[in-house]
Amino acid sequence: MVETPTETPAEPPAEVPADPKTELREQAADALARLQAELGDAIVEHGAAYGDVVVRVDREAWRITAQVCKQKLDCDYLSFIAGIDWMPTPAVTEDGSGDTSTPAQPKEQTYGVAGSEGRYQLFAVVMSTRRKSWRVILKTDLPDDDLHVESWVPVYAGADWHEREAWEMYGFVFDGHPSLRHLYLPSEFEGHPLRKDYPLLAREVKPWPGLVDVEPMPGEAADDEAAPALDGGETA
Amino acid sequence: MGLVSSGKAPKPLQHLLNYSRKYSLWMLQWGLACCAIEMGAALAGPRYDVMRLGVIPFPASPRQADLIVISGTVTDKMAPAIKRLYEQMPDPKYVISMGSCANCGGPYWDSYSVTKGVDQIIPVDVYVPGCPPRPEAFIQGIVLLQQRIMSEDPAERWRGVTREPIVVG
Amino acid sequence: MTTTDLPSPGDLPEIAVDPAAFRHLADAQVAVELDTGDMVLNIGPQHPATHGTLRLVVRLDGERVVSADPVIGYMHRGYEKLTEFRTYPQITTLINRIDWLSSFANEVPFIAAAEHLMGIEAPPRAQYLRTILTELSRIATFVLFLGEMGLQVGAITPAFYGFRDREYVLNLIEAVTGGRFHPNFNRIGGIKDDLPWGWISECKSVMQKVLASCDEFDDLVVGNPIFQKRTRSIGIIPQELGAAYGVSGSNLRASGVDWDLRRDGPDYLVYNDLDWKVWTHPDGDSFSRYWVRLQETRESARMVLQMLEQLPSGPLMAKVPRIIKVPEGEVFVNTENPLGEMGYYVISKGATGPFRTKIRSASFSNVSLLPWLLRGVYVPDIVTILASLYFILGDIDR
Repeated sequence: MVETPTETPAEPPAEVPADPKTELREQAADALARLQAELGDAIVEHGAAYGDVVVRVDREAWRITAQVCKQKLDCDYLSFIAGIDWMPTPAVTEDGSGDTSTPAQPKEQTYGVAGSEGRYQLFAVVMSTRRKSWRVILKTDLPDDDLHVESWVPVYAGADWHEREAWEMYGFVFDGHPSLRHLYLPSEFEGHPLRKDYPLLAREVKPWPGLVDVEPMPGEAADDEAAPALDGGETA
Repeated sequence: MGLVSSGKAPKPLQHLLNYSRKYSLWMLQWGLACCAIEMGAALAGPRYDVMRLGVIPFPASPRQADLIVISGTVTDKMAPAIKRLYEQMPDPKYVISMGSCANCGGPYWDSYSVTKGVDQIIPVDVYVPGCPPRPEAFIQGIVLLQQRIMSEDPAERWRGVTREPIVVG
Repeated sequence: MTTTDLPSPGDLPEIAVDPAAFRHLADAQVAVELDTGDMVLNIGPQHPATHGTLRLVVRLDGERVVSADPVIGYMHRGYEKLTEFRTYPQITTLINRIDWLSSFANEVPFIAAAEHLMGIEAPPRAQYLRTILTELSRIATFVLFLGEMGLQVGAITPAFYGFRDREYVLNLIEAVTGGRFHPNFNRIGGIKDDLPWGWISECKSVMQKVLASCDEFDDLVVGNPIFQKRTRSIGIIPQELGAAYGVSGSNLRASGVDWDLRRDGPDYLVYNDLDWKVWTHPDGDSFSRYWVRLQETRESARMVLQMLEQLPSGPLMAKVPRIIKVPEGEVFVNTENPLGEMGYYVISKGATGPFRTKIRSASFSNVSLLPWLLRGVYVPDIVTILASLYFILGDIDR
């Protein structure tokens, strides 16, 4: 696994104390204990996301994790598989021109719950149709120079389209997938649109329509008294 | 149609032709997104009932259609299909672009996969704004188009005359 | 040549004729005339049976489907990318248009995700109004299905009934929110406005109409022998397979899985306060999907009536900062939408807009089962199966 040299080690949010939202739901804690018993060292890190358990596993153990979830944890239902690109959103407005309406994201690369080793991450949610609120969020890291991971299709048949989507949107390659081909986009489409460095060209050539004749965006205005939330951005 | 396309048809004949074209608009539905449901409400919904205006919404093929209604988001993947079906329609043919997405891209104006308006592919006669437009707005578009057909010289389509598009509202 | 040279017929030796040999020849001739080989049939991308722009490339042997490959993406609008360029209130506008038949239900999980991250809880009256509007949009979606499904198997009348009832419900939604289709009525921390005067009694009478027309559908469609012949044991989804494909909502309940996120998921809205029932059907075929949706329409109407009885009073908005900045964190909220499980995985980095939003939409997974489900069925059954799965293209492609 290759680490990006510029990254700062992420703070594991699971250890932030005294926040009711980082506590695990009863069922989630149970699921975590079972996963730990089954997978052992393959679990790199775990955390909580508002009651749900987030487990980051080793890339080599990605398919085994699915099997364990399906066969030992009663998670028969695949909700989705998707990718994340943790690279900071490129600022279009460095020189003060162009797109000023995009919400400003932090400039440094930080990672979410259960951390990450690099830029690309794959995550999935599996659930049970037999137990109440029984679900697990699984994550795994893909190194920048080797975006390969084992396919889940043999375990969850529904992974087919989700993996095609992740391949199209991020360029992740799923070993053992029957046919990785374009799902949404025309087959001559180039690039991986959900990567953070894929630009939306329309925004660069055309200013946000709401900005043409309007007062400053809410982000720039002074904080007024707490009032009902307004659709500040939509004034046009 | 040599007489009509050459523009030598006598005025009463033109009037008669326009009159009959106006009230037998065979309409190819191209329902794409949310607007398609509003179009469906206008066509099949008992409250709106577009057929009373002489619009026949069920041609079996674009080769029988006089009017195509593009209602909804046009994506780059769909664009070639729209162009192809439009080219199959016989002249004179009319296009109604229904909804913001078909007009200009709408809420997806900055998306990587959405065509920014169907007028980039085919010429549009009537724009119906709204997201989605109410069925009444769509019917208004049809009525305005019928008025234009009535006042039109049937030959001008063959001479390549283009008119300013109508915008409803 | 004299006739005396010929033996008389009675003297001829018996020849054993094998009738099978002749049958073989006859068969061969028939096969030559009827042999079609594999034929590729392209349905869509613009076809009335596909509710929009689904394209199916079907390989046929005669009238039977050998393999089916859905081609999606004709309605792909790049939602997940666009959410990274919008603020939270702007995204509400956008996600209305994912499943355009039940726009209000789309807003609920996203707003809930933002509220979880901000640590806000909407006041009880707002929660009730949200639930009422969600159930109304469920009814609006399902009555259209109940009519549409009849249309797809050849009965035109139910479609008009469906549109008629949908107009009633849309009127109610419009009276509250101002939008027939895309209400954009949810706010982070509550709901925009209260009910208009007289709405409650109007709503009650419409719910009675809906219940009555459900009975009508019961007689007209469910009890119709032709409809039953067209749908019974067509397109059976096995439980385990459906779950592994992520099929959810009424489609999975029609396969006998007693699982409804309104009851079995983490608590959301006010479903726990209500007395209601999750309907399942053991068969898993197209008929049972219709039947389950019919029962759920009734159940939703009853739920709305209950909620109107016990509607609490109070404020509609919690205290929310004027500029919505969502603290760092991530959360997954999924809810039971009319079409199935809809979920938002929102990752926030403390800005006015999310860093990444994964939209889990129900139809995407429901339709991903099609290659399996369509194998071996007859061509007319394709239409039945597509109609009974009930998907919205915007919900598949996003």
